[in-house]
Amino acid sequence: MNHLEANELLAALSLDAVDEREREEIEAHVSECPKCRSELDGYMDVATALGNSVEPIPEGLWNSISSHIYDADDGSEPSPSIVTGIVPIEVAAFRRRRARISTKPLLATMGTVAAAIIVVLAVSLSDASSHVSNLQRQLASSNYIVTAALSTPGHTLVDLESSSKQDVAQFVLLPDGRGYLVSSELPALSSDRTYQLWGLINGTPISIGLMGANPSKVTFTVSGAKPSVLGVTVEPSGGSPTPTNAMVASGTFAD
Amino acid sequence: MQDISEASDAQLVTSIGRYSEVALAEVYRRHGGAVYGLARRVLNNSAEAEDVTQEVFLRLWNQPDRFDPLRGTLRSFLLAQSHARAVDAIRSLNARRAREMKDAVKVARGSYDMQHEVWDLSLADKVTRALEELPEEERRVIQLAYFEGYTYVKVAEILNQPEGTVKSRIRTGMRRMRSVLNEAGVQGAET
Repeated sequence: MNHLEANELLAALSLDAVDEREREEIEAHVSECPKCRSELDGYMDVATALGNSVEPIPEGLWNSISSHIYDADDGSEPSPSIVTGIVPIEVAAFRRRRARISTKPLLATMGTVAAAIIVVLAVSLSDASSHVSNLQRQLASSNYIVTAALSTPGHTLVDLESSSKQDVAQFVLLPDGRGYLVSSELPALSSDRTYQLWGLINGTPISIGLMGANPSKVTFTVSGAKPSVLGVTVEPSGGSPTPTNAMVASGTFAD
Repeated sequence: MQDISEASDAQLVTSIGRYSEVALAEVYRRHGGAVYGLARRVLNNSAEAEDVTQEVFLRLWNQPDRFDPLRGTLRSFLLAQSHARAVDAIRSLNARRAREMKDAVKVARGSYDMQHEVWDLSLADKVTRALEELPEEERRVIQLAYFEGYTYVKVAEILNQPEGTVKSRIRTGMRRMRSVLNEAGVQGAET
């Protein structure tokens, strides 16, 4: 589906008024076309307003939902988002860990770290092992986002250096707290390991999220206190609540 | 410790990722009525709307990573999920059998009365007014597509109009709606 064909159907897509094949083709185009993405977001706003009619919720519905929430929970990892590529890595990390151990000991261990982690709203990562077509769309989307971030007034660049003082990764942080991986030369890890990104806040390392074994795309949002330092460690694939290894790279935010 | 009722939607989703039922309950409290309301409007059936609502919240519980705070609000995300699932249901063979084409047209013409069903009268008033300001032919295609769950191809068939005309009217109508809603200060689904 070319640009014109997709563009003509954006409004219909926002109303779910296209068939499945058209939906897939339009979404594939939108993931690579910032203009259409922006236009679709505008139509989605209208669709949301149209559907935003609140009604009294039937009694007992919440009880039904809450009684089913663990039915389908098999501990499997969440699948990557198809269109946006945004995967909150805190979510992924916690859910992977939960698949191996029970929740209560984990939460006890997390303690204050869990409370502090609230600064992290969402992080995305790439999963290069599968979903190739998704990754291609995500990459195109990511490149656009990073380019836009680098053009945003007030952005801050953070270069992360290895212990041998070589630049191995660069992040950009926007004034509103959104941050992105610009480039990475971190070597690929084995599949049972992952890079984990940390922010140093008041001297305490706070997990920002997992970067995967071969980082290519990381998106995160930080609210509240801004970290003074970004650091990366190598951790088990599920991530760690606190660093278990020395930083392989770190960088300081310029004031 | 932050009061759960003061947490942002994005923070709640992060907590849901850590299996916080309290966070899911808070999201349900904030948005459950809207999710259910839209499903009921599309399906015109309370029991099926409850099923859709349950599916939407269980999906958020199992796959919270699908919400992208950079693309829109949580309300917008949940409503899109609710609408898509309601439309899927209504397009199923059994649901389709129950609907005669002429009845659908009649419903689209005559029964749209948002003001009696919504709680948020201010927003409802703005949306109703924006719809009323649309030319009749644009309003009808949007209502058939969004509230009746028809594809634009089916809408064209029902109204005996070329598909290109229906596509164009949906697009023009949505643009007009957006302009009117923006002027009225309605930004997506901010809560």
